[in-house]
Amino acid sequence: MLYIHKTYCISSQQDLLQANIDLINEPVVKKLLAIEPTYTQIPPGILRRMGKSIRMGVGAALPLMSEADAINGIIMGSANAGMDDCVKFLNQIVQYEEGQLTPGSFVQSTGNVIAGQLGLISKNKGYNITHIHLGLAFENALLDAMMQLNTNPSNAYLVGGVDEISPFHYNIETLAGSYKKEDISNKNLYESDSEGCIVGEGAAMFMVNSLAENAIAEVKAISTLHTTDRELVKQQLQLFLQKNLAAGEAIDLFLSGENGDNRTLPFYESCESLLADDTSIVRYKHMTGDFATASALGLWYACQFANNQQLPAQMFKKKTANIIYPNILIYNNFKGLQHSFILVTGC
Amino acid sequence: MSRIFITGMGVVSAIGNSVAENHEALKASTCGIQYKLDLFPSKYAGLLPFGQVPISNDNLKKTLQVTEPGVTRTSLLAMYALNEAIANSGISAEEIQSFDTALIGANTVGGMCLTDELYNDANAKTNGSDYLGSYDCASVNLFLQKHFKINGIINTINTACSSSANAIMYGAMLMKNGYAKRAIVGGTDSLAKFTINGFNALHILSDEICTPFDEGRKGLNLGEGAAWLILEKEEDINGKKVYAELTGYANSNDAYHPSSLSDEGDGPYLSMQGALRLANLTTDKIDFINAHGTGTENNDQVESKAMISLFYSPPLFASTKGNIGHTLGAAGAIEAVYSILSLMHQEVYPNLHFKNQIASTGLTPVLEHKKMPVNHVMSNSFGFGGNCSSLIFSKV
Repeated sequence: MLYIHKTYCISSQQDLLQANIDLINEPVVKKLLAIEPTYTQIPPGILRRMGKSIRMGVGAALPLMSEADAINGIIMGSANAGMDDCVKFLNQIVQYEEGQLTPGSFVQSTGNVIAGQLGLISKNKGYNITHIHLGLAFENALLDAMMQLNTNPSNAYLVGGVDEISPFHYNIETLAGSYKKEDISNKNLYESDSEGCIVGEGAAMFMVNSLAENAIAEVKAISTLHTTDRELVKQQLQLFLQKNLAAGEAIDLFLSGENGDNRTLPFYESCESLLADDTSIVRYKHMTGDFATASALGLWYACQFANNQQLPAQMFKKKTANIIYPNILIYNNFKGLQHSFILVTGC
Repeated sequence: MSRIFITGMGVVSAIGNSVAENHEALKASTCGIQYKLDLFPSKYAGLLPFGQVPISNDNLKKTLQVTEPGVTRTSLLAMYALNEAIANSGISAEEIQSFDTALIGANTVGGMCLTDELYNDANAKTNGSDYLGSYDCASVNLFLQKHFKINGIINTINTACSSSANAIMYGAMLMKNGYAKRAIVGGTDSLAKFTINGFNALHILSDEICTPFDEGRKGLNLGEGAAWLILEKEEDINGKKVYAELTGYANSNDAYHPSSLSDEGDGPYLSMQGALRLANLTTDKIDFINAHGTGTENNDQVESKAMISLFYSPPLFASTKGNIGHTLGAAGAIEAVYSILSLMHQEVYPNLHFKNQIASTGLTPVLEHKKMPVNHVMSNSFGFGGNCSSLIFSKV
């Protein structure tokens, strides 16, 4: 049993629940850049040397770790943490022809740098791990936390997902055709009918334990899959629902990871075809942009929706008479290959 | 909870292209580290020693029948060792493709072995190379997923130099928690200009062959390789050959410094202690420790101190970094294979190039190959970011 007690999120919007679509931030030069808070809990000397993903990850986690003793481990999901420093160091190697290099960027280039820095700053000597499996990096972190709690029910963990738009990663993904070629407003994202998404960045952190009391939400189940076959995704979703919903229960809210890419849209439509008529559908990636660990922001949304009946109208793809959402299903699809289902219920 | 057995192994390193070749080399005190690096041009080629796997990329591709573009050496080494592990365990294609077979792999280099391609792509100097989807570490397991058509849980872990020890742990946890019936776990890394220059900038690369646990040690040598274990549950064995049992594992953080261990070695102490607790073993039951023993000033001193703090009088121990160099994300998995070889053959292998005890700790590692009863072996892996992990393998 995994119960979420505290959350913190950094994204490209001041208000991720903005009701008025005309007030949401638009991409700047095709990127939905995160609006970072003032990081008061990170020592200035350390903050200065941190890359953006490290800053966002550590900055989003520390507010949940004020009582350091209460956390028994740090479980991070990040596809590309350290990537920026990695290429900075690589550029040094090429430009100085393997001369005398400074190791700063090399040390910060390892994928485990956020969890490592958090351990260091919070003096947390417990379980410490980083999952980097691209579009399922956060899902594996969440699954890891579920298994840790199953084994150690009295423990509490920090689990989160974070990724940045580093200039180098952006170049590689642009060459690979991951992003929209045309300049479009995020307000029209879902009508675009073209290849690619709008890239985003951010961090979402969760303090989790096994206690239902005072919890915000429970993550009941998670399932992941690698396939390019729509039918297989549909079959696996059917199995997931059969296994995890009690008789008479249904999905009340489908939190869709739809990202405006017409190559992945068919997968979302396949999943939607399994939903009951009275299941509402909401989307969020016009607010956050898409990136490998965007599903962490999806879970953050689910935590809000589990206890809030006033969802912003601009997020609905389909609005039904349902006004409470006991069962929320998050479906995410990364590049048409990596799929995840997360079942969340309010507490 | 189910007991976790190892039913298959595969390894490729500087001292051998198979489990059998590695075993012979360990017994014979073979050092695979040489002043030779011909995988890519580097000013350090010939100047620094490396543990290069003696198979070229072309030969790897030919042997593995890989014809598609964009496959990195990191992935090729992984596939090479995985083929052996699968053949060795005898699991069928149907079992590999079953929804309850997990693939958990670790690496730290990914496609960064392709310095020039990455430099050009990341700085948008070209129209894109064949490797756009191959730079990140996850690309290795995505390649293996596609090739072997794996449907179960797939994950890539990066805890720097302890990465593949955590991949082994995560696979075992998936099985114990009912998320997988069997797990393919391991790690891979290839030599890269990136890591060579990185470790060199930190002044922890030795210009001589590394000498783990020696007073006069000058640093580590980088190596490369890959190893995989097939994990199956006790109830699914059905008379199959079992090499060892994974009885203990733990992960902790040293919480001291981004790239070195604390003087007291809290992280190493806690990971060794945690693994013993899970295995329900007292310190006197460990017959041998496969030490992390990189040959750096910091690691060997701290690891020795932590072993003394926990064991008081530490059991026999040795590092194989003097045979193959430090293989980073593959180290935990390769050394898991070596630990299991000790259990299978009831013997321990020597720590090469040792001359004098570290004055402050007074410990001498195993110096020659010898037969002896071995029931429990602990294997240590420590990495940047304070990530420390220990595994315990036991005789079945």
